[in-house]
Amino acid sequence: MNQVDTAFSKELAKYGASDFAACYNCGNCTAVCDLTEKQANFPRMFIRYGVLGLKKDILKSREVWLCYACGECTKACPRQAGPAPYMAAIRRYAIASYEPTGLTKLLFKSNPFAILFTVALAVLLGFFLFTLKPDHDVSRWIFNWMPFDVIHDLGMIIFGLTGLALVIGVINMMRHLYSGNEKPVFEWKKVPGAFRYVLDEMALLKRYRNCDDDEEDYWAGKPEWQHPWFIHWSIMWGFIGLLVATTLDFLFKDPSLAIWWPSRILGTLAGLLMMYGTSMAMWYRIKKVTKAYEETQFSDWMFLVFLWIAGFTGFWLEVAVAISGHSVLNQVIFVIHTIISMELVILFAFSRFAHAIYRPVALFSYYFVKS
Amino acid sequence: MGNQEKKKRIGVYICHCGGNISDYVDVEQLRDMMDKEENVAISKNVMFACADSNQKEMVKDIRENNLDGIVVASCSPKLHLHTFRNVAQRAGLNPYNYVQVNVREQCSWAHSDHPDQASVKAAGLIRAGIQRVSYSEALEPVKIKAIKSVVIVGAGVAGMRSAIELARMGNEVFLMEKESRAGGHVAGWNSLYPTGTSGEELTRKMLEQIRRIPSIKLFTSSHVTNVTGSLGNFTVEVNVGSHGEEVLKLPAGAILVTTGFSPNIPDEGQFSYGLSESVITLPEFKKRIETASGKLNIGGKEIHSIAFIYCVGMRQSGGPNKYCSRTCCTSTMHASLELHKKFDDMKSIHLYRDIRTYGKQEVLYDQASKQGDLFLMYKEKEPPVVTVEGKKVKIEVTDHLTSKRKLEVKPDLLVLVTGMEARDDSKQMAQLLKIPVGNDRFFNEIHPKLRPVETVINGVMLGGSCQGPKNITESIQSSMSAAAKINALLCKDSLEMEPIVARITEEACTWCGKCAEVCDYDAIFQMETNGKVVAGVNGATCTGCGICTPVCPVDAIEVAQYTNLEIESMIDGFMAPVKLEEKLAEAGTESSAGEGLMKEYPGIWKEILKQIEAEPLTIPQIAQQLQQESQQITYHVMTMNKYHILEAAGMDDDHAYFLYTPKL
Repeated sequence: MNQVDTAFSKELAKYGASDFAACYNCGNCTAVCDLTEKQANFPRMFIRYGVLGLKKDILKSREVWLCYACGECTKACPRQAGPAPYMAAIRRYAIASYEPTGLTKLLFKSNPFAILFTVALAVLLGFFLFTLKPDHDVSRWIFNWMPFDVIHDLGMIIFGLTGLALVIGVINMMRHLYSGNEKPVFEWKKVPGAFRYVLDEMALLKRYRNCDDDEEDYWAGKPEWQHPWFIHWSIMWGFIGLLVATTLDFLFKDPSLAIWWPSRILGTLAGLLMMYGTSMAMWYRIKKVTKAYEETQFSDWMFLVFLWIAGFTGFWLEVAVAISGHSVLNQVIFVIHTIISMELVILFAFSRFAHAIYRPVALFSYYFVKS
Repeated sequence: MGNQEKKKRIGVYICHCGGNISDYVDVEQLRDMMDKEENVAISKNVMFACADSNQKEMVKDIRENNLDGIVVASCSPKLHLHTFRNVAQRAGLNPYNYVQVNVREQCSWAHSDHPDQASVKAAGLIRAGIQRVSYSEALEPVKIKAIKSVVIVGAGVAGMRSAIELARMGNEVFLMEKESRAGGHVAGWNSLYPTGTSGEELTRKMLEQIRRIPSIKLFTSSHVTNVTGSLGNFTVEVNVGSHGEEVLKLPAGAILVTTGFSPNIPDEGQFSYGLSESVITLPEFKKRIETASGKLNIGGKEIHSIAFIYCVGMRQSGGPNKYCSRTCCTSTMHASLELHKKFDDMKSIHLYRDIRTYGKQEVLYDQASKQGDLFLMYKEKEPPVVTVEGKKVKIEVTDHLTSKRKLEVKPDLLVLVTGMEARDDSKQMAQLLKIPVGNDRFFNEIHPKLRPVETVINGVMLGGSCQGPKNITESIQSSMSAAAKINALLCKDSLEMEPIVARITEEACTWCGKCAEVCDYDAIFQMETNGKVVAGVNGATCTGCGICTPVCPVDAIEVAQYTNLEIESMIDGFMAPVKLEEKLAEAGTESSAGEGLMKEYPGIWKEILKQIEAEPLTIPQIAQQLQQESQQITYHVMTMNKYHILEAAGMDDDHAYFLYTPKL
């Protein structure tokens, strides 16, 4: 027996689902959705879950992650109930619910808190960044009561905690995915297939590309590199590329290697890709080119803006290194770059960014339902 | 009586009804046959007897040929009796020297599968009509003088509004109210959709108006105890005062019944009604919303979530209340909206069977769903299960929108949406007024569409929800139309009534009283004439039902237009042998299939036969080959099947369609 919880609508509203009470379950949204399938019935069913307050059904679903928010459903909705923003909201709700500390809930539900927290974290990070310049007065003062090792270890612990939150989040998600009666049967022999399915999806965003192939669509006739799927692809692979390049740089312990060095080339290309993706994504959101871009939550903006700043400052530094400038401005840029990058990593488990983990996990699990 | 002269110049018109009759009944042969009948001056076929041009021709015929009686063999007299009576009147013939014979409903439609037999029957009926018209009498309408006063029973919105209108139209109005105050249910209601006016204000304004009109006399705490008389001259006996202190006899030309409804009360235990303070009905709930302020406390607790179960005691496929009460969906939506307006932090959960906020009221449904009300549909066979424990309510219901998931709702309050029922005392009222009630126990009109406010008793009209569930607008609409109808009757100096009534042969009557005993309408009375006690008939009350004629031991009573002479002659006419010419042989050259009276197949039939001659085909196949709509072909194939021109010969491979082959 499922208990109806009418207060849940209000809870979801805080995650950005505002008009879904108007839904009268006509199912137009599901009918027009290019991604809904027999085994994955959304958005209508999920709006109903939200209305009835069936939280568990939302948390144990793969469907939440199968949607790419193309906005077709919102366009087709006769009640202006906004199925696409609703799906985005329950994704936020899922991220916040899987994450164990409750920090995500606070960040998503309260914009002032999110701003305050990010700024405070930035100040703190900036403060400790002085330790990179051991001779500076501030550094000396810090080292006075907190030795370098402690700072170093503290950093490691913070990164560790972020990682732990993510791991627990994924475990929580798995626990939900495999609860209830309709859980998929796990079979070892299907594991390679599942991996291939996820990698296929990540490589070329096959599902996302389904979203905007309608002939009368806004995107019809526009070159592929302007399509939302490619924007998303650029951000995703740009970021992964940068991550790999940074790791390689770190391994070789010498960030000022010559520009032709493969890790540097990778970094430059990935950076360009990410800058392109984030710029376009923000541009589309500002211009509200389609329904999909009409409702952007603060957490979405923050994520995009952070990525953009990280990319922009990264390039700045790249150029600065090439022309060997050591101005104060460059140093400030360096600090900003580092702070933003570190915030992105630290807040990975506590932001929209976490979908980068949850979506592949959901896809992996969905393969077993599908096949 | 009985010594009338037979009519000598009768006109007979046999109508094709554009094929409705002539497709089956051989109207041409009948015309020739009737032409040869005794006393028939002219016999004609007409495509549509009721058409203007034909009516004009009939008038001309009557005048030119000096006809003294006419027969139209066409459709049911219910449809066109008055049309042709008027034709007769326009031609200077008494309208009662006209007889309508129904050969459409009784012959061509009823016996379409035996067209030859239909023709024989039609011949008999038309001959009976000719016989009847030849003995028909010229009758004059019964004229009575009407009292220009109306008794309205029930001073709810319907009664009050129509009282005002009737008074304005110059009638004296006696407005009866059983309760100690006028206003009915509406007086107790708060804000009304869509104006927001309260029921109290609405009824108060009407009452103020009534008090300013001297020709309206309002009697509260009054009961109707007896009704006698008939249209134009009723006497309504009323007890006034809570103890019946005063007895009044009110004269009334007409009576308007606006007694309203009773709210349905659920049985004890139905959806746990009566078992907990947290389960109440919608009318109770609305009262509570009105009286509460600040916070809504019901049954000793603060209310924030309310579940409504709709259609309680209504739309019962197995129970007595099969009807939809129409107003409750709207009322519930309205209550939910008011609730949200008045109190903070409220949630409504609607457990409904169908939402019927018809017409403009749909806006309320839209608003309710947009304010976040939750809607859960249930089926009659799978009603929500309610259990209560003290003040706690638990409802189990299946949600069809999440693949029939079983859900549990725990609202602070459960409201049972009950509808309107006929009043318990409506039975007595029906007996007093001799008006019929339906299976739903509400009063019945004569015809729901054509005569929606009149009852079978002349001069007794219905208004408002005593006739069936209605909202305020509809109640007032119906009572106003009843008022207009009443005024149309009473405004004339004298009322003309159908003269088809019983009459007494005074020489034969010995006054045994049997006729008076059986009369349902108290139309027969004892009287003395020429020193002899005989029965008399009140022509205004008599409906011509004829129940009195067979009980008379001396055959002294008969009904105009249904005299023994007329009926017997009709039987003679009907029983005379009919010989139709065999048409089968004549047309037999075209095709060997059994044709009945069909002279030649329509072109499309020939084409269909050609198609199925080689091999049996299904309807879609025939349609495809003939490049025709399959609906068209279905129609023709079915007709051909009926006439045994073709027949089914098994099914196609998919077992989806019949194959047809010519029937030889």
